[in-house]
Amino acid sequence: MGSQSIDLRSVLHETLSFGYGDLVTRRTGAAVRNGIVELLGDASGDDVTFIDFGKVRVLDLSCADEIVAKLLIEQRARNFVLKGISDGHREAIEPVLEQHDLAALAQDRAGTITALGRLSDGARRAVAWIAEHGKLDIQDFAKDLELTEEHARDLIAELVERGLAKDSEDGTQAMYSA
Amino acid sequence: MTRVVEIPSHLDHQSFDQFAKSFGEPGDERLLFDGHSIHWGSPYALTGLLSAGQWLKEQGKPQPLFTVPNDKDVAGYWARAGFFEHAVEFFELHGKVPHVRAHGTSDVLLPVTPIRGADDVHGVVDKIQEHAQSMLRDLGLESQATMGFAMALSEACQNIVEHAGTGGWVAVQAYHWRKRLGRRVVVIAVADGGVGFKSSLEPTQGHLLGDRWSDSAALEAAIFQGVSRFRDPGRGQGLAGMRRYVDRWQGKLSLRSGTARLSIVPPWDDDVPMTDHLPPFPGSQVLLIIPARQES
Repeated sequence: MGSQSIDLRSVLHETLSFGYGDLVTRRTGAAVRNGIVELLGDASGDDVTFIDFGKVRVLDLSCADEIVAKLLIEQRARNFVLKGISDGHREAIEPVLEQHDLAALAQDRAGTITALGRLSDGARRAVAWIAEHGKLDIQDFAKDLELTEEHARDLIAELVERGLAKDSEDGTQAMYSA
Repeated sequence: MTRVVEIPSHLDHQSFDQFAKSFGEPGDERLLFDGHSIHWGSPYALTGLLSAGQWLKEQGKPQPLFTVPNDKDVAGYWARAGFFEHAVEFFELHGKVPHVRAHGTSDVLLPVTPIRGADDVHGVVDKIQEHAQSMLRDLGLESQATMGFAMALSEACQNIVEHAGTGGWVAVQAYHWRKRLGRRVVVIAVADGGVGFKSSLEPTQGHLLGDRWSDSAALEAAIFQGVSRFRDPGRGQGLAGMRRYVDRWQGKLSLRSGTARLSIVPPWDDDVPMTDHLPPFPGSQVLLIIPARQES
């Protein structure tokens, strides 16, 4: 599994020539999304792409809808992690994901990975557990969270179904990490 | 024939209906906007007056007259806020216009600025960042309020670009609202002379309500149900985002369109959530008020 990082501010400057640095308006969001898709190129479906918000000052809902929600919908087969997410970015991204019944992994500036969007509380705890432990061991996971193994497997199935985890070749499910 | 449009001496979102009533439904007569006795005009007033002038021009009505406020402080404030700079495009100005160019100050955070397209929204968001952090710190709000403020401003302006069918105006000012609140506030005012919420949403929503389709129904659909004229399921989130922002920071959101006004009313205000059967006025007028945090 390889990884790629896409700096949104660079994409903005390369895509639009007007010199502004904020991610606002639908028009800008659509242009930036197209810029991202061009950069994705021939990346394998197993690769993880980090969409880096670290240098983004302002993100509005319209732009978040165009960049994040539509990217996840259109590129469903790919794996994304939203990187460098601040509380302000979260306020724009969370509602648009919920509107589309989507979920995404986010990594804040301290490196902590959480889930954004529509997801059960149990699945959110699973994300936190896997982020902390790096990789999933279903028995340890069930034991730590005081779950039956069946319930633990259901939560992991939810993560896989929502595109937040993936079946790996050795039969376990791995979370994308930085 | 010339008809006088009375402007209340204290023109803001509360007295705007009085102005709208006097504005009426103009025919081919020439209008005279009588502003000579104005003692105070809020950003809502400035953007609303400009959108009225813009609407008259776009409707091909005779160019209206506008008498400049006699009060030098008021006229000076309006000049700094950029009102006269744009008013000359729509009005024949009478009276002494101060020769002051519009510029940002501690009170005029964003002079009256035209919004015609997405680039203008970028310009406004970029400009407000110069002041946003210190302005919100002055109100005692956390740094988290800053991006939300720019986001709300952006969405309010995009409402014009996406729905009005014409251009509009935005202004951001800070002032001490002594009379009503006794606290400092930051105010975003956005107005356009476009089609209004009812006409914008009618093609997709009108048939659902039939005879009950009205300005108030359109405002409710837009703000509470996130309805948009576009069928894209991601649309219609901007107003909901503005509502969340004012909820979080105990602010007020008010939308007036046609003959109705819908307000998200904070505990410090005694406005009513919905007012119907108001005097008609073109386009839509949006107001956000973010108050300073009350010291415990």
